Amino acid sequence: MNPVYMAVAVLLPMLGGVLIPVIPFGNRKRMLIYIETLVLANSILVFSLLLNRPDGHVILFRFTQNLTVSFRIDGMGTVFAGIVSVLWPLATLFSFEYMEHEGHERYFFMFYTITYGVTLGIAMAEDILTMYFFYEMLTLVTLPLIMHSLTREAILASRTYLYYSLGGAAFAFIGMIFILVNGRTMNFTWGGVLSASSLGNSITLLPLIYVLCFCGFSVKAAMFPFSAWLPKAGVAPTPVTALLHAVAVVKAGAFAVMRVTYYSFGTELLRGTWAQNVVMGLTIFTIVYGCSRAVKETHLKRRLAWSTVSNLSYILFGAAIMTPAGLVGALAHMICHALIKICSFLCAGAVICKTERSYIHQLDGLGRKMPKVFLCFTVSGLALMGVPGLNGFVSKWYLAAAATDSGNPMAWAGIAALLISAILTAIYMMTISLRAFFPGKDFDYSTLSDIKDPGWMMLLPLGLFVVGMVILGLHSEPLITALESIAAGVQ
Amino acid sequence: MSGWILLPVFLPTIAGILLLVSSFREHLARTDGMPVFIEDKEVLGKLHQFTAIVLTVSVVLALLAALSGDRSVTLFYLMKDIPIYFHIDEVGRINAVFTSIVWLAACFYAFVYMEHEGEEKRFFGFYLLVYGMLMALDFSGNLVTLYFFYELVTLTSMPMVLHNGTREAIMAALKYLLYSMLGAYMGLFAIFFLYRYCDTLEFVPGGSLNPQLVSGHETILLIAVMSALIGFGVKAGMLPLHGWLPAAHPVAPAPASAVLSGIIVKAGVLSVIRVVYYMVGTEFLRGTWVQTAWMVLALLTVFMGSLMAYREKVFKKRLAYSTVSQVSYILFGLSAMTPAAMTGALLHTVFHAFIKTVLFLSAGAFIFRLGKTRVEEYTGVGKQMPGTLWCYTFASLALIGIPPASGFISKWYLAAGALDADIGVFRYLGPAVLLISALLTAGYLLPIVMKGFFPGEGFEISEKKEAAPAMLVPLAVIAALTILLGVLPGPLIHYMSRIAQALM
Repeated sequence: MNPVYMAVAVLLPMLGGVLIPVIPFGNRKRMLIYIETLVLANSILVFSLLLNRPDGHVILFRFTQNLTVSFRIDGMGTVFAGIVSVLWPLATLFSFEYMEHEGHERYFFMFYTITYGVTLGIAMAEDILTMYFFYEMLTLVTLPLIMHSLTREAILASRTYLYYSLGGAAFAFIGMIFILVNGRTMNFTWGGVLSASSLGNSITLLPLIYVLCFCGFSVKAAMFPFSAWLPKAGVAPTPVTALLHAVAVVKAGAFAVMRVTYYSFGTELLRGTWAQNVVMGLTIFTIVYGCSRAVKETHLKRRLAWSTVSNLSYILFGAAIMTPAGLVGALAHMICHALIKICSFLCAGAVICKTERSYIHQLDGLGRKMPKVFLCFTVSGLALMGVPGLNGFVSKWYLAAAATDSGNPMAWAGIAALLISAILTAIYMMTISLRAFFPGKDFDYSTLSDIKDPGWMMLLPLGLFVVGMVILGLHSEPLITALESIAAGVQ
Repeated sequence: MSGWILLPVFLPTIAGILLLVSSFREHLARTDGMPVFIEDKEVLGKLHQFTAIVLTVSVVLALLAALSGDRSVTLFYLMKDIPIYFHIDEVGRINAVFTSIVWLAACFYAFVYMEHEGEEKRFFGFYLLVYGMLMALDFSGNLVTLYFFYELVTLTSMPMVLHNGTREAIMAALKYLLYSMLGAYMGLFAIFFLYRYCDTLEFVPGGSLNPQLVSGHETILLIAVMSALIGFGVKAGMLPLHGWLPAAHPVAPAPASAVLSGIIVKAGVLSVIRVVYYMVGTEFLRGTWVQTAWMVLALLTVFMGSLMAYREKVFKKRLAYSTVSQVSYILFGLSAMTPAAMTGALLHTVFHAFIKTVLFLSAGAFIFRLGKTRVEEYTGVGKQMPGTLWCYTFASLALIGIPPASGFISKWYLAAGALDADIGVFRYLGPAVLLISALLTAGYLLPIVMKGFFPGEGFEISEKKEAAPAMLVPLAVIAALTILLGVLPGPLIHYMSRIAQALM
């Protein structure tokens, strides 16, 4: 396809989103149809782009002769853009029913749709500057979504988010400049753009700069000690938490980390340095830390947010192994976790929307009243625990296999962390399911009268996610083959 | 074509799911959360018929599959180079056979017993489902397949634990789930390393460790194996992660307790056998700290379990502690790594399955007919339910190991195997602990027989309340087996020792 369509795919949702508050729709239904059509059309466009990948690149605009904002699709970009474009229309569909009771819908959907374009910008960025540009923009367009309810709590949360993200971007900026100065090119190139000869004396600086850059980008991926913003941001409406804080925003962070590690800094120079030990140590710690906080947390959405913290560090851990197999594991977990976590968040959203209960102890007996929702929730919980047959097992398997193969004792400790985290996951997910389905013999169900499963707009996405988890869990071969060819630098 | 050997997996699984789905709708109609009793005798009869037919057909198929030679079938590829692969070999065959016998007997018993528990659709749905999963576990031909079904056995058997819906049962089920998951993950930790250091994840008698890959990495591999032993030992109730067992087994309805204690704990034993004898191989482990630690844990569990059982006053809990102790007999036999001890362990696996089933089913009969749960209340039960108590007595004698009952044979081999193993002080310590535990076993099982048959003077003999024939017959059949296998142990010993020889 013509490379120009890449720019279209990024700009269409941005422009279409901006127009939402302006167009006189007449009634709500027409607005919803417009939004869903827009998002769906863009997803179809993205998919046809990914399937017929354009050869060249497209330059959106130039800052200077050498510094450009330009797009190109490669294997890794395909993975991220694919995840995003599958999930966006479904999450949008879900949010129609959810946002009915939240108000300010027009502005909500405006920013929600713009974010789609910005995320695609990160996925399709040709070079580190473009990625950084859209990365910063992502912070700004998602800020109003966190503030949405305009309560004091929401405003404080969005402020925290802003500080963390901008601070992180500043550290990442250092890394970017280092690449601009020392790299052969600033385009993403498999194996990295640095070499010992081109670095000269700055090679002593390399580990330090890499750690700064890793930490900077992983702020969005909520790695410890930069994870506090994510659970706080749970005050946002659930479609935001589900899509942005489990997939788009946080995975943009993880994606950026993988990009700079494998495509800019290059693993050859970094493997075995203290920088690798530091970042891997942080990810391993976060894996356990996030889960422990999730176990302690009694608020449903915040618990899931802590779980996200832990699972994103699975991805970062895979990246920190710094072998092609590690990248396969990381990408696999990026895909699998996206499906799992959006499903569990949307289940939580359905519960909050239909019952206005948001603490876990209030969920007693709801399983019998909302069986479909809680069935989906339980399946996603099992997948998150890594029960074989569901997709979570597959990605954990490849992460662990990469870790054993790397021969790095620290990575072996990482496997132990993965499994500790899995048992903690069992604790924080299964207690919810058990409580919902088996509240105890003397539970009074009359307190739950007129609660029932939500409508099709909520159930359809949930059902599709569950089907996706099972299919990926039982038949992962094509996916892994594709990821392996990406990680071998073929695509 | 060997695809048909999976029929005993699929048939009960599908039937179980169908039953569950049909009961799902029923739950929705109810709003008070109380257990659903099926009042209509006709519906109940149909449910029983359905379960009985499905299970009987599955059992017949399972026996056919198990006895039809070493067949294998690859179902599909779970991951790129790892298939879901089934292969029926000797150890799997044994497990499948005794599982099937016990499952069928306990099922007919449950038809009567479950009348006072309610929620029969759910119970029998999961009962069928777990049977399918266990068959798959027994037939699994590589480590990942085994792990797959190990997890599924945990998940599908959990609802049997929380069946009665009390707070206690739900907490026990949660404990069961989390302990089992923890164990499974510890096992998985080992699987990752075995995947790297073994030539194949398929089960090869004697193991498939690749010495070239291993050299230099012995420490991490030993740690991984220890992790697998403790992890899979969770299901077998081995210290230090045995805590779930005395909580979960007694709260389940009696037929579920019987299969949990008699059969499902053996999933742990099977997994340990697979890892030690079919993946790593005894050569690598013999004489290492792992063997020592394993033996210490097993012996401690044997002793501690018996002691706790001796002190426990709630009858079903006492039996659960007895399981903790007895299954570690098996683990001790496996840890000694000699053919005789292995033979003993395999024999004890089979015998204990039958014995513990009888004990739990008779406990259930007492509860069902008399409502007595504590051992002090059992004075004179032999006058009221002589048939049940006789069955209990036979099984007790077998468990203590009094010749010619079956337990004697297995313990003989366990002790003899330990005595000629090269395991230092444990050569004597092991058999000594087994002996002490046998005494304790007598101490916790026999008083019920004594008081039951000889209530002493001044005891008023109330009218007979013998269990219904539908409960008593399965009980008597299995009880007869516990004695018969002791009287005519020849073929079984021959078979087991041949397996054991081949593995070392």
